[in-house]
Amino acid sequence: MTDRQESALLLLPGLLLLAGAFLVPILQMLALSVAGPDGGWTLDHFRRFLGDGFYLAVLARTVRLSLVITAICLAVGFPMAYIMARARPRPRVWLIVLVILPLMTSVVVRTFGWMVLLSRSGLVSGLLRDFGLAPRNFALMYTETAIVIGMVQVLLPFMALSILGVILRIDPRIEEAARTMGCSFLRALAAVVLPLSLPGIVAGSLLVFTLSASSFVTPNLLGGPRVQVLAASVWRAVTQTLDWPFAAAQAVILFAGVLAILVPYIRIAGRGHG
Amino acid sequence: MVRAVPPALRVAAVVFVALTAVFLVGPLVVVVGVSLSESQFIAFPPAGLSLRWYDRVLSSEAFLAAGWLSLRLALLVTLSATLVGGAAAIAIHRRRLPGGEVLGALFLSPLVLPTIIYAIGMLMLWSALFGPVSLAALWIGHTVIAAPYVVRTTLAVLADSDPFAEEAARTMGAGRLRRLWLVVLPQCLPGLGAGAFFAFNLSFDEAVLSLFLRRPGLTTLPVQIYGQLEFSPDPSVAAVSSLMIAVTVGLIVVIDRIVGVQKVAST
Repeated sequence: MTDRQESALLLLPGLLLLAGAFLVPILQMLALSVAGPDGGWTLDHFRRFLGDGFYLAVLARTVRLSLVITAICLAVGFPMAYIMARARPRPRVWLIVLVILPLMTSVVVRTFGWMVLLSRSGLVSGLLRDFGLAPRNFALMYTETAIVIGMVQVLLPFMALSILGVILRIDPRIEEAARTMGCSFLRALAAVVLPLSLPGIVAGSLLVFTLSASSFVTPNLLGGPRVQVLAASVWRAVTQTLDWPFAAAQAVILFAGVLAILVPYIRIAGRGHG
Repeated sequence: MVRAVPPALRVAAVVFVALTAVFLVGPLVVVVGVSLSESQFIAFPPAGLSLRWYDRVLSSEAFLAAGWLSLRLALLVTLSATLVGGAAAIAIHRRRLPGGEVLGALFLSPLVLPTIIYAIGMLMLWSALFGPVSLAALWIGHTVIAAPYVVRTTLAVLADSDPFAEEAARTMGAGRLRRLWLVVLPQCLPGLGAGAFFAFNLSFDEAVLSLFLRRPGLTTLPVQIYGQLEFSPDPSVAAVSSLMIAVTVGLIVVIDRIVGVQKVAST
């Protein structure tokens, strides 16, 4: 046996699994999205989606919420990652645990926590009322704000860790050099650390945007049936209306939409970096 | 001192970290708090203290069945994902196959593709080929999304390992199997270990695939919790959730012992 054969043998189970249980299901879904009732193919499912104001509104809401969620995660995640990277080793381990613990907890469990906090009798809604910031009877549950709050908590760890990985590799002496040349702390942060951590920022934003556009567990539970997002609509088509070709078409639109927004974004971010 | 951070910003950083900590961990604390409540209503802060909801969980057939299914599934997935992912990582690391870059990307692609898109494809394919979903469908599906984690942790460990150890063993006359078993496997072990616990955690907590591939009698713990949250949550859901949080905390401690939490965070 040659070395190459040995490597091929080691790789074989994984390749079989990926081909048979990953690529084929996705192809099956693509095929079903254009499947006609009599065995032929049709674009009716896509036409139905794009011709219906309800679904277009769902699509617009999904994009809007994902952008807001990504922006907030970035605004909180960057300083968090910087503080983690520059903290002394012991506090750093605790900060990492702080980020990993929620990351590794089931999404269902975390969302449950928010359901309790955001409900009418919950702590957050109650505090807002007590401070006179919200009318009586006010509840955050079943609003877009609730979805944003819950999703940011779910996705912030992805952003913070993506950026952390890059900042840890930046030589701290570059930052020191900028300071000795007369930069203030914040100026050095903006002129040195921020541009150098751009790869992490791009990777983290891509990940957060994709995950938020495609998640339905948290939006379903916090937004309820009236505030639907695209992934939740896919879920409904699969489990409630049992219209699988339509579900497949929506999943394809979700996939295409994610790609369509991400590709130009990568280009722009890449240009800014170069 | 040039490195000094202005004191005002230092204070701001501490406040910022404290607020973020409350935001990230708050929901988990709330869940544990609710589970300790004496009242039959979900409320935080809890009214009175009792363990009665844990009693309720341990005598609930639905929760016990779901927990047993989740445990079996997670163990199966840990085994298969570690074997498949570990072997693939060794092969990818050696770079002796054509198109190595593409292979690496292919093996990590389930991490990038939204799970819902994979889940719906898996459901449709399984139904077309085999009819109703089964434990095998969940096992295969979870293995596909868990194996990349093992690939990643194992590749990270192999990148730091001594590339000449295997050559040395070869010059000393060790055969292929002996080299794999006595040299390469021990080198991979921390990565395989960490990957295995990640795979367990992923499968045990996974909700999206499990929701699509569910049927009566095939509900995992997260699916059971999800179902209750949609309809009639009582504090026993919080008790189950708290037990799941405890499992996660245990897994993080174990992973930290194996590879160190910082290594995990920066790969």
